[in-house]
Amino acid sequence: MNNVKILVGFLVLCGVLSCKHKESEYHSLGEKIEEESKKYHGTSISSEDYLGDIKTIEITEGGHTFLIPERKGQIKSYPCLECHIKPLEELQGKDIKKAHWDIKLVHANENAMNCITCHDGSNMNNLQSLTGKMVDLNQSYQLCSQCHNNQFEDWKGGAHGKNIGGWAPPRAAMTCVNCHNPHQPQIASKWPVRFNTRKVQERE
Amino acid sequence: MSDKKKWYSLNLGSSQKETAHSGCGCGKTSGGCGSHQKSIGEEAKKDGFEQVFDVKMDRRSAFKQLTASLMIGAGAVSTSCSMIAGEETKEKAQIDWEEQFKGNYKLMSKEERKATVDRLVRSYQLRKKKNITMTTTDAPEDVLFGYAFNISKCQGYMDCVSACVKENNQDRNSEMQYIRIHEMKDGEGFKFNEADDNYYHEVPAEGHFYMGTQCFHCDNPPCVDVCPVEATWREEDGLVVIDYDWCIGCRYCMAACPYDGRRFNWSKPEVPEEEVNKNQHYLGNRMRKKGVMEKCTFCVQRSRSGKDPACVEACPTGARVFGNLLDPDSTIRWVLENKKVFRLKEDLGTEPKFWYYMD
Repeated sequence: MNNVKILVGFLVLCGVLSCKHKESEYHSLGEKIEEESKKYHGTSISSEDYLGDIKTIEITEGGHTFLIPERKGQIKSYPCLECHIKPLEELQGKDIKKAHWDIKLVHANENAMNCITCHDGSNMNNLQSLTGKMVDLNQSYQLCSQCHNNQFEDWKGGAHGKNIGGWAPPRAAMTCVNCHNPHQPQIASKWPVRFNTRKVQERE
Repeated sequence: MSDKKKWYSLNLGSSQKETAHSGCGCGKTSGGCGSHQKSIGEEAKKDGFEQVFDVKMDRRSAFKQLTASLMIGAGAVSTSCSMIAGEETKEKAQIDWEEQFKGNYKLMSKEERKATVDRLVRSYQLRKKKNITMTTTDAPEDVLFGYAFNISKCQGYMDCVSACVKENNQDRNSEMQYIRIHEMKDGEGFKFNEADDNYYHEVPAEGHFYMGTQCFHCDNPPCVDVCPVEATWREEDGLVVIDYDWCIGCRYCMAACPYDGRRFNWSKPEVPEEEVNKNQHYLGNRMRKKGVMEKCTFCVQRSRSGKDPACVEACPTGARVFGNLLDPDSTIRWVLENKKVFRLKEDLGTEPKFWYYMD
């Protein structure tokens, strides 16, 4: 009887030991992450200090709540109504001084996009959606997401776009127009910022 | 002792005798000597000075070690006791003496850690007349750092490499870089032998994609297993770090790493004084010396205080995602759960905490 007990004990011990990885108690990293995050109660670390002078607004989209930089304060010529006191038609004549001459629209094609696809001609301070609903300039991502749905999904989750501050909560992310010029969203190619001359020598 | 050796040594004369006596100087092969059995308390890890001094060894190796240490110390002692040398020289010598005999960082108490940091800061002040700050922040609780890299977003601008070099005080002479960006041909998969990691032309190049490699902070790191002196280890938050003062420069870890993640200082690392990043961590970007290993630490000096590593912050494309794997609401977790991710050489079982994904 005693022998049986010892044998059973031995087998149980073997089972326990063979299941264990060398140092950790999990089979894989995936299992470790899953198990240990069950008892996660938040960290004491905060990234709030690293936002710096950036003024942010909080948005909630599809279950994700995070901060994005405020936009209106960054646009030098905002509010637009300072100049746009007359209706657009009256500003289009040839004898009037040209404004926004530096803006060239290179975004989709002429069939899909022109100024009023996004701008509200009757209220220049705001933007408008494809169906003519008012969109605040601070929430311009709502316009982009009408077409760029995949990017929008990735951005909400954090797979597209760039984080601001640090990894710890509160989460802050750049919004579309912080990286892409909405009038010319394609990012131009450029040269790498550095070249390793020693690597060339070492590999000769 | 000798049968537990991890390394291979030639069996010439003296070492043969030592093997026969199983490391004991008493000359008896069985019982009686007393020093063969460990008494209670002896198996505990030694700390600080004790690691060097309070160790049982035979006379031969004791003399060897003493002579070696005395040779190093003699210069320091002669200056510190000299009547002619100035106060500062004496202090420098004193610091060098104490640094020479300090223990492994892993085993140091809080006080010992503070003492060594204070010495290093003071030493820098004496030598360069500049103040640095050095921390020993421990791994935060409930944090496991992870990294994701978007291979469809990286454009090969190399801003990450530049930021990393500056942040981590890497040697400018040998142009050491922790990060490599590989330019690969579309549609041919990962062929590192055909990839170019030192291109200089307008990027992104037609028909190519870019992927970065660096230390992947494996959860089962082979580099840690092979270190004969335990100068490198994995911290609780998943970072694989190095104690530069305990590293003997054998480069076993460099050979063991399947990802080319480790770098060696073949020469004395030099950084122009005005470019030195003075916000330092003992296990991170403090100044290294000749003959020691170093590598990416996910910028331990930044990440442990809530910042993103320098490469993440510098990347203009947002291809780099960093965060806490244990936080179910973190962006890194969203990427892992919602994107198609993979890791390099997953079959090795190294469990890197560095994932690649695509749009």
